[in-house]
Amino acid sequence: MDELEKTLDPQQAAIEAERCLYCFDAPCQEACPARVPVPEFILSIRSGNLHGARVLLQESNPFIETCGRICPEESFCQSVCTRAHIDTPLRIRELHRSVTDRTDPADRMELPTGIRGKVAVVGAGPAGLSCARELALNGFRVHVFEQLRPGGVPTQEVSRRRYPAEVDERETGFLVSRFVAHVWSHRVSDISLLLGDYAAVFVATGLPGEMMLPVEGMALEGVFHARALLRAVKSGETSGVGRRVGVVGGGNVAVEVATALRDEDPTRDVTVIYRRGIKELKAFKREVDAAIAAGVTFQFLAAPDRVIGQHHVEGLQVVQTHLCEEDETGRCKFEPLPGSMYVIPLDTVVAAIGQRPDAEAFSQLARNDAGLISVNEEMQTSMPGVFAGGDAVHGAQTVVEAVRDGKRAAVSIVTYLAGGK
Amino acid sequence: MYRERDLSYDFLGIHLDSPFILSAAPPTDELDMAMDGLAAGWAGVILKTTSVEANAVGLKYPMMSSFGTAGHKLWGLGNIDLISQYHIDEVCQRVKVLKQAFPSKMIAASIMGSQKEDWQALVSQLKKAGVDLIECSFSCPQGSMGEAPGRMLAQSVEATEKVARWVKEAAETTPVLIKITPQVTDIVEVARALKRAGVDGVTASNSVPALMGVDIETFEPRPSVFGDGAYSGMTGMAIKPLTLRTIAEIARTVDITISGNGGAYSWGDAVEFMAVGASNVQFCTLPMHAGFMTIRDLRSGLADYLDRKGFSSPLDIVGKALCHIKGQEELPAPRTRSSIDPDRCIGCGSCYRACRDGGHRAIEWNAVDRKPRVDEEKCPGCAQCMQVCPVNAIRMKQELGTDTHYFEFKGAR
Repeated sequence: MDELEKTLDPQQAAIEAERCLYCFDAPCQEACPARVPVPEFILSIRSGNLHGARVLLQESNPFIETCGRICPEESFCQSVCTRAHIDTPLRIRELHRSVTDRTDPADRMELPTGIRGKVAVVGAGPAGLSCARELALNGFRVHVFEQLRPGGVPTQEVSRRRYPAEVDERETGFLVSRFVAHVWSHRVSDISLLLGDYAAVFVATGLPGEMMLPVEGMALEGVFHARALLRAVKSGETSGVGRRVGVVGGGNVAVEVATALRDEDPTRDVTVIYRRGIKELKAFKREVDAAIAAGVTFQFLAAPDRVIGQHHVEGLQVVQTHLCEEDETGRCKFEPLPGSMYVIPLDTVVAAIGQRPDAEAFSQLARNDAGLISVNEEMQTSMPGVFAGGDAVHGAQTVVEAVRDGKRAAVSIVTYLAGGK
Repeated sequence: MYRERDLSYDFLGIHLDSPFILSAAPPTDELDMAMDGLAAGWAGVILKTTSVEANAVGLKYPMMSSFGTAGHKLWGLGNIDLISQYHIDEVCQRVKVLKQAFPSKMIAASIMGSQKEDWQALVSQLKKAGVDLIECSFSCPQGSMGEAPGRMLAQSVEATEKVARWVKEAAETTPVLIKITPQVTDIVEVARALKRAGVDGVTASNSVPALMGVDIETFEPRPSVFGDGAYSGMTGMAIKPLTLRTIAEIARTVDITISGNGGAYSWGDAVEFMAVGASNVQFCTLPMHAGFMTIRDLRSGLADYLDRKGFSSPLDIVGKALCHIKGQEELPAPRTRSSIDPDRCIGCGSCYRACRDGGHRAIEWNAVDRKPRVDEEKCPGCAQCMQVCPVNAIRMKQELGTDTHYFEFKGAR
């Protein structure tokens, strides 16, 4: 299937670049967790200096091709673009993609010679590989521990239409081959063992588990979990879901799995079932738009009560909800309407209500109530020499935020190993 | 329906239904194009410059090239054009046809010759055809023939005066405009020579000699004619300020009728040309870019302007700005400060950066609320900040005695 979004051609990019005000102390750059120097790279697009633009992008963000495709720009750079006071924000993400699509990641990249020490990175997602690159650029030899193919959520779960395999290969393939000395594929369960071989450890194991829908009937045939489905579809397997699919949830994973299941079979009905309203959806606007374009429908104000069926799913019993006052984030709370129970006839229920950390792993590390690894401002865990970041620390977040964590941890590790603290 | 305001007036004894003329250029080089232009509403045409049979015209293509940015390719338009490939007999025939089809429009022709006999023969043939006005090209950037070989005729004051006399002698009562170039040491000397020669007016001015660009991969000039290139004549909005100065300089010092030409792209530009002394305005690049229908906006924009200003005729505009144009040393010295409207400011910081790196380091930047603030002690009022502000939030406050005056961008016109 073709990629959903077309890259801006050079003329379109140059015209868009002319709209930039090149703000002093630019808000877009400040809003980017990876601190991509936005006005400067746009100026280089305008002058036709794509190599210069690539260097600026890549220096600040190791996952620049990934972010060029899936970064939710409306949450970061573009949300604060000064140009919006005149007309519309710059299409910053598309401009940045127009650079990475036309340039080579290896261009003019050099590594220092000489080795300052060995560091282990557990988990080869955006946080882990970003940290690995920064450490390698600082002269450390980095070993990565990853049981799956390196790349993390974008590689395992984001659909090929939004993140094509060749782009993944170019980006993560480049990062691993250039900055990682060795990839170990065995599971690490005891960090203290690693500390014998490595001067420091960075834990970025993400959120491997999925939350269970707390209703009856989840053991029936025809109940699936969203991320397992995404991984299956991405790896080329058939999903095995039925003809009438209800996806329960309102986040990016729910919307993405619904889109993927429609794309897999456009004659299948796929409905996202969400207990609040359209405004409360946590999924990014671009994902929702793509789902609507794919033919996904939405059932709002419907809270799951139980999955109906004998052996196989026959429907989802839901209760109609009512939106009440806004919470502190501006999203409306909801409450069930008494006596409003009804059944949505379905043969498949997909739970997409959230992810959870692997609480059994690394029991030596202090965790918060949600099971997330606790760190201080330097990304340091309760165990000296062990740092952590990414979703395993913050819960589900974006690639660019994982990049920020990886970069920040690398700085801390370098300082720590230099004898700082 | 809407009333069409009368924009007509008399120009050198010729009726013009508006100040907007199609200049001697590609839009008037074919009969049907000239017809279409007049039918669309242009007040007159000056048919593209012609000459006698003996002058071979070796046009080279590609002829046109532009300079600008990705979003606006056509700030300037260059051409390596010469005169028309149609000779005088064909042009005279067209004058007759056009005069018959559009009796109330100005039908003019442009000529270029070398010998006295050529110039005078061209003039008398056009007179016989019933032409309303004759324009003489003394300024084709590709060089003139005859009196000033290798350079433009209008770059020699003596040659200009001599040839202008020949033309006017043959033209008798038919009005004659001489089209000059801004590319001279002293434009006033040229205008004075034309006044002495007794011609009716001057067309100020023409395309500006230019090298449009060089391809940095191949080192071929623009336009590339099979790898090589020549200097162009540049037109379009990039040359408007040059033309404005040329018109103003002539109008301030010589009592001669001026037809404005070179860089007008809107009715507002035309009003500016007239305000510094032009009695009408010729257009070429605008219709070559956006077509003959552009006359509708020129006419309605000017009509609205005249109503708004309470002017009865376009002639009321002519020379209105001249009394304000002075030598720099004659200007007063008001106490000037940058004045930033915080409500309009969108916080881009362009003014701060421009002042810091190219002004007087007189603007402070509040990084928290993203607002600039002028240091009144340091600011001499240079106005660079005002030029870079994307939303026209900055103006220059000037104080002289008890009077206050502002220099400001009025915003998009």
